[in-house]
Parts: sequence; structure tokens; C-alpha cells
Amino acid sequence: MSEALRQSLDLALFWEYRFVLFGGLLFNAAIFACAAAAALVLGLCAALLRVSLMRPLRWGGTVYVELFRNAPDYVMLVWVHFVLPLLLGLALRTRIEFHPFVSAVVALGLVYSGYFAETFRAGIQAIPKGNIEAGRAVGMSEALILRRITLPQVVWRMLPEALNIFVSLFKATTIVSLIAVPDLMYRVSMVTQQEMRPLPLYTGAALTYFAVILVVATLLRWASERWRRTVLV
Amino acid sequence: MGNWERLVWNQRELLLSGLNVTVEICVLAFVGSVLGGLVLCLIRLYVAPLRPIAILLIEFFRATPIFVQLMWVNYVWPEILGWPNTFFTAGWVALALQSSGYLAETFRTGIEAVPKAHREAGSSLGMSRLLILHRIVMPQALLTAAPSLVNQFTVIVKSSTLVSVITVPDLMFQSQKIVNIWYEPIEVLTATAAIYIALIFLVSQAGKYISDWLRRTFGLHA
Amino acid sequence: MNEAPCIRVVDVHKKFGPLEVLKGVSFDVHRGSVVSMIGASGSGKSTLLRCINYLEVPSAGAIYIEGESLGFQEDAAGRRSARPLRDINRMRRDLGVVFQQYNLWPHMTVLGNIVEAPIRVRGLSRKEAVRVADECLRRVRLSDKAHEYPARLSGGQQQRAAIARALAMRPKVMLFDEPTSSLDPELTDEVLNVMRELAEAGSTMIVVTHEMDFARDVSDRVLFLHDGLIDEEGRPGQVFTAPRSERCRQFLAKYLK
Repeated sequence: MSEALRQSLDLALFWEYRFVLFGGLLFNAAIFACAAAAALVLGLCAALLRVSLMRPLRWGGTVYVELFRNAPDYVMLVWVHFVLPLLLGLALRTRIEFHPFVSAVVALGLVYSGYFAETFRAGIQAIPKGNIEAGRAVGMSEALILRRITLPQVVWRMLPEALNIFVSLFKATTIVSLIAVPDLMYRVSMVTQQEMRPLPLYTGAALTYFAVILVVATLLRWASERWRRTVLV
Repeated sequence: MGNWERLVWNQRELLLSGLNVTVEICVLAFVGSVLGGLVLCLIRLYVAPLRPIAILLIEFFRATPIFVQLMWVNYVWPEILGWPNTFFTAGWVALALQSSGYLAETFRTGIEAVPKAHREAGSSLGMSRLLILHRIVMPQALLTAAPSLVNQFTVIVKSSTLVSVITVPDLMFQSQKIVNIWYEPIEVLTATAAIYIALIFLVSQAGKYISDWLRRTFGLHA
Repeated sequence: MNEAPCIRVVDVHKKFGPLEVLKGVSFDVHRGSVVSMIGASGSGKSTLLRCINYLEVPSAGAIYIEGESLGFQEDAAGRRSARPLRDINRMRRDLGVVFQQYNLWPHMTVLGNIVEAPIRVRGLSRKEAVRVADECLRRVRLSDKAHEYPARLSGGQQQRAAIARALAMRPKVMLFDEPTSSLDPELTDEVLNVMRELAEAGSTMIVVTHEMDFARDVSDRVLFLHDGLIDEEGRPGQVFTAPRSERCRQFLAKYLK
């Protein structure tokens, strides 16, 4: 047992391949960035639908949110990559294939837009009605009220929860290796097949993600708390 | 559509067996994570010399992606510890580890949310610290934590889809097996997605119901 | 004083579902006058005030601001629906509202709160808006708090800031909805004094209030509302000392004990 332990902690192999492996992290980061942007925008739209005054819009928003919020990441990934192109192909009478990067961004963007939608909705509904009425009373349009009064307060209030969602999203990008996006995990499995020594590689991968996420998440939380304290609400 | 019948309905036994395995793994993982989370939390709060280790473990389990943990438990642990010896075990152990990190924090929040005044009432009545913990603090903490526990169960169900990668015959695995036989993914994968979404939706609705009931019966807690 | 009334309320009704809160209210407000509305809770005074600014839509009746109808359109079933919001917002600029809960926006400083609407709704430049804001802050005696966030201010200070915010839009009429009801007793005076000064300077004001001293000393007219109707109206001297309505007499007896 100690031999295996020593082997797995001997990260020299991991270090040897560091450029290839850390290059994979860039893919995680890129997918994260694109999916996060999509999830924020879609989530905000869905939240606005859910608080709208018209019942069909509210209903549509709820269906969207419940559909994507309750879908497992991996299932959505596989479905978007393998089924959606076929459906689109049937509709457009041609053969369509998604690049795995695109599938990953779309799948994760949709799922996490569900989480953001719930977060935004809670934030919007927590704003005292009086604030909105004060805006109306001075003649502000609904769009102006949304932009200048509602959204700033939603951002301030929900920032910690939003950060948690971002961290989860970054962690979720590790599954893209399963549709052959060359991220860190994919490259680890490739190198393992070549070198036949999984211990240092998987241990190294775990430690890498641990370090990256712990450091970045802690920094973000510290920064967000500092910013929130400067705006006394 | 004929395909639905052929690919989904006729394969229902296979899919149901997969669903069965999924439920098994999720229940085992959930129980494991509750126990693990409790242990980690109590050590962190009350066993001073082991506190740094507990904190390290909690942060490690929370910060590492589930997929990475799964690979790590499946490929590295057997070499070092000689266990787990089946893919199924590796699956639920990895899921349990990840969730125990989150639940440890949930329990800690729940325990710290119990007002100090309640503890003082107990000690003024002559109760020992252990008794106070056991009869006053933990029950309230668990009530507060109940909605988060249900939520964590849905997280486990969603993450369980990954155990198919280490060839555990869960629902995801079986549906991919059907796809690989006939190369027609549309009906099977859509049905699988629908089953997962419905299952998770039901669990989270049950969770909402539970937390409403708790609020009505015991008053609103954090 | 202008001959044509600044605000005309004609037979306004308001129903919330089956409950009729306003049952046909009519009155005029002339430029430069101060009208107080008093009455028990549930008499409809706040609802009436909110109708004038269109925060509530009357179920029947009409409201004219400077001769222009606040514009209800009737559909085939006789139900009222709103004028285009753009028009309503244009008219709202001329009506300043001070709420019971102040409703300052917590994520902006006091100055930020005051200049927001002048810049974004009236289109003033920031420099111009700040000049107006400083003047309004001086009037409510809050100049030293311009760069504080509302959470740091006392209730009385927040309400004065809210008054400054309403004033900055240079409204033709100021509407006050129980402005001191949320304040601790020590803090009501500072707000009432500001309102007194506004009245003396010739502002047109409609004030819903429980502060009878203020209503008696500062108003030109007092309306006593009961159960959705104006039960008594007239000059304060007459309403407070010799009300014709029995209910009004009972109400005042409770307050002026």
C-alpha cells in the first residue's frame, strides 16, 4: 500500500506533462466563460418572465426554469450533443453536427440559466414594492425602473448566491471531456492510456482543481464582500 | 411513433433496472453523506485537535468536481487502500464524499443558528453539554437543515448520472446501451432525460412541501 | 389664486375585487392651497391620494390634472383601462409624492436619489440636476447628508430626503401620504416644519395625515373621509370646531382629547 501511496504522491509525471494538462484547463475556463455569459442572460430573461404580469408569460418562464433546473448536467450534455443536431437536421432537412465545444456551452448554459433564473427571481421579489412605486411616482418608465432600481439591488442582494452558482458551473465543465472536448480531464485520460500510470495523474488532477477552485472562490468571495460593504443597503 | 414503442417501451425492463440501480446508488450515497457530513461537522466544531483536518477535508470535498472525485475514488483508491472493489461502491462512495462536504457546512450553519439562549436555558436547568447537544441543539439544527438535505438529494441524483462512465449499470448507462445497439438516440435519450427531470422535480416538490410543513409546525428558522 | 382648479376629482370610485373603497368622491384643489384629508383607517384617504398619481386606477369617475384628464379609456364592458404609460409618466412629473415609508432607493446616496429622476426623466444635465438638488436639500435642511446612504439616516432625515427628492422635479402639486406615521414622535416635528414652510411658500399640497394640529393650522381646506365618501369638508376653523357631521365630531373627539 505504501508503494501505491508513494506513487500517487509522486507527481513528477503530472509535472512532466504540465503544459499539456494545464492547457486543458484553458478549455475548462473558456467553456465556463461562454456558458456563464449565456446562463446569466437567459436566466435573467426567464426570471423577468416569471415575475411578469401576464399569466402565459409567467407560465412559460416557470416551464423553462423547472425544465432546466431539474435536468442533470450530463444528461443535458449528451442530449444536446447527440439528439438536438438530429432534431434540427430533421427540421431543416439537412445533416447537422455540433462541435463538442458548442454542445458543451449550450448544454451547461441552459442548465445553469435555470439556477440563475431562480436566484434572480428571489432577488426581484425581495425588493420592497415602495421602491418601485417611488420610481413610478416621479414618472420613470418601467424599463428605467428595472435598469436603475431593480437590477442594481438584485445584483447586490444575490451576489453571494450567484458566486456559488458560478463555482458549480466551473466544476461542471469537467464533464465535457466525455464528449471529447480536450479539457484537463480528457488530457489526463489520454496521457494515462499512454503512460499506464493513473495514480499520479488523477491525484494531480484532483489537487489542481482543488487548488484552483479554492483559491479563486475564496478570492471572489472576499472581493464580493468588500464591494458589498461599500454600498450600505 | 413506432420508434417510441420499439426503443423505449419495449426496453422498459432494461430502463427500469437502470432506474433501480440509480435509486439504490442515490440512497446509499445520501445516507453516507448525511453520516459523513455529521461526523465532519461535529469534529470540526467540537474536537479541537482534529479541526484543521476536518476543515481541509470539507473544503477538499466541496471544491473538487464530482467527476474528478469519481475518477479519483475509482482509479486511485483501490491501489492505495485496496477498496472499493466494485464500480458500484466507488460510485456511491464518491457521491457521498462530495455531498458530505456540503452537508457538513449545512449542519454547521444549522447548529450555529440555534440561539444561544436555548443552550443557556438547558444549562440553567442543569443539563450537561452532551445532553444539550443531543436534545436541544441537534434536533433544531436538523429541522433547519431539512430543506437543504432534500436539495442535496437532488444534487446526488443529478451527479449519479456520471457513474455510468465507470460502467455502473444505472439508467444513463442502460439508455446509452440501447442507443449503441440501434444508433437511434432521439427517443431513448429524450425519454431518459424526461425521467430524470420528472424524478428530480418530484423530489424538489416534496422538499418544498416538507419545508412549508416545518415552517408551519415549528416556526420559521434560518 | 388661479380660477380653474389645479386638480379636479369627479365622482371617483375604486373597487378592490368585491370591496368598494371609494364610493364617489369629488373635490377640487386650487393652485397654492393646502388640502388635508383626515379620517379613520380604511376610510379610503390613501387610496384616493394614490388615484391622483395613478398608482391606483379608479374603477369609475375622472381625475383632471390642470384640465387634462388622467385619461381612462373605457372598453365595451365599461371597465376602465389605463392611458398609455408614456402619457401617465409625463403627467406624473408634475405631481410629487411623499410616501409613508419614505421609499428611498437604498443603493444610491441621498444626492443620487434626488438627482435620479431630474436627470433621467426630465433630461437635465448632471450639473444642473445637482444644483437643483442642493437647493432642495437646503430647503429641507439636509445639505450635510447629501453623500450618505439612506440606511445611515434617521427616519426623520430619510423622510426629509424623500421630500427633497419630490421637490427636485419641480412639481405643480405635492402629495403627502401620511408622511409622519412611520416616525417616532420626536422626529415628526422636523418633517412637519418642512411641510409648514412649503405651505407658507405657496406650494399646492394635498396631505393625508393623522396630525390634527398640522391639519388645523396649515390647511386651507380639510376633507373628512368616512367609508369611501367625503363626509365633511370646509375650512379648518369650521370643520374642527363645529363639524356638521356626527361621525366627524366623534372622530375629532377621539383625537383632540
